[in-house]
Amino acid sequence: MTRQEIEREIKNIFQREFEVENPEMDVDLREAYAFDSIDAIELLLEIEKFLGSELTREEKKQAMDIRTINQICDYVEKLAETRKVAPVKK
Amino acid sequence: MERRVVITACSAITPIGHGKDQIVASLLKGVSGVKTLREDQLVSRFIHSKVYGTVDYPVDYDFKRQYRKTMGPVAYYACQVAKEVLEQSGLPEDFITSGKMGVAFGSIHGSPTVQRNIYKVFFEAKDKAAYQSIGAVDYLKSMVHTTAVNITKMFGITGRVISSGTACTTSSQSIGYGYEAVKYGLQEAMLCGGADEYDTITVAVFDNLLACSTAFNSEPRRTPRPFDKLRDGLVVAEGAGAVMLEEYEHAKKRGANILAEVIGFACNNNGGDLILPNLDGITKTLKLGLENAKINAGDVDLVSAHATATKMGDIIEAQAISAVFGINPYVVALKSYLGHTMAACGAIETILPIYMMQDGFIAPTLNLEDIDERCAMIKHVQKILQKPVKIAATQNFAFGGVNTIVLIRKFS
Repeated sequence: MTRQEIEREIKNIFQREFEVENPEMDVDLREAYAFDSIDAIELLLEIEKFLGSELTREEKKQAMDIRTINQICDYVEKLAETRKVAPVKK
Repeated sequence: MERRVVITACSAITPIGHGKDQIVASLLKGVSGVKTLREDQLVSRFIHSKVYGTVDYPVDYDFKRQYRKTMGPVAYYACQVAKEVLEQSGLPEDFITSGKMGVAFGSIHGSPTVQRNIYKVFFEAKDKAAYQSIGAVDYLKSMVHTTAVNITKMFGITGRVISSGTACTTSSQSIGYGYEAVKYGLQEAMLCGGADEYDTITVAVFDNLLACSTAFNSEPRRTPRPFDKLRDGLVVAEGAGAVMLEEYEHAKKRGANILAEVIGFACNNNGGDLILPNLDGITKTLKLGLENAKINAGDVDLVSAHATATKMGDIIEAQAISAVFGINPYVVALKSYLGHTMAACGAIETILPIYMMQDGFIAPTLNLEDIDERCAMIKHVQKILQKPVKIAATQNFAFGGVNTIVLIRKFS
């Protein structure tokens, strides 16, 4: 899985689930798009679907400091690396 | 310290229209909002009562996703009337978010539509994916105070939150407790009301208690029939109503358009049976309301009766009205147009008399063709009257033995 594929999927999730078209990569999501803790939980479920793998509680807690799309992509990249599995194709 | 409390905005979504123009037009034309009960793929086929007070027109919502995500259908209704009331009041944003304004808003049990989806998981979940379908927001959409807090979130309101869920007295308590919060200086303003969404389970509950109308399934507009000989029970309905209550000097200072003044409120309990109407209990409520408003029974021009069109309930209410108010006030049963809008009924049935005060008319009780002689000792309205209304009393009684009365006066 390339970084490009991860970015594309995260942007798809943001469009589909959060009605955010082409989000800026480095803006604070809360400030720019009113992305809150409820959205974060929904996003983690979407990431689990994308990876085809459940996240551990520890991994979920790590996500709570994330503020930008780029950081989300970093996070997913790391998770994918840990699992060394191909993401579920949609 | 007791302060005067005025109403500086009101709005309603009802089975007979959305907002004053549509609602007044329906009242003047005698339009009923009662329609055939919708098939729900669950319990509707077992329900004997096939009628429902239905909002069958589109409501033009314009809520951003950040708000929609925690809203079930009941919160859509609530937030829409709240939005209209805030706009109509002209209160500035810095006041709305200052903590000087609170919200008193409720529904009878949150969002049954969302709860139904959660229950499906209990009974049908076969794997983890089903379990995960219970979203993080389902509780926020379905909890009993979902209307109140979705309003606070959408408009940044930081004052008190009161969210009564006392069935048919939910929004009369909202207005009453909001009135007390402003009257005693706890808040400068309170946004008050109630809402309930389309829900067949509520119909099933009343149907099983033999309290629902069943004799007019083929002619829905002919029921409910409060105080009429042929009445055969209530008709469940959906809707929402909201009022802005504001401290009088505050409203006056900013040049607000004052629609009416809340002059009294009372609430008590029958202290016994949770279902049966109780003459002693509601008679006391009406007397307490008059004492609280510091007026005489003869001062009341109009009584907006609870009058659900059940056999016993209407008789007991007529007896209480007669005992307390005598033959003086006109009595109208607005559920005859709307059905029983549950948590919204207290607010809606306070708002419609405000419209009548403003326009100088009294709407008749619909379907009241042949007055039951046991209810005949009060002054019923059977045709439109062009009469000024100065003081109106809205009375509501709920399962649980809760009784309320809200008294309003035309502002001059």
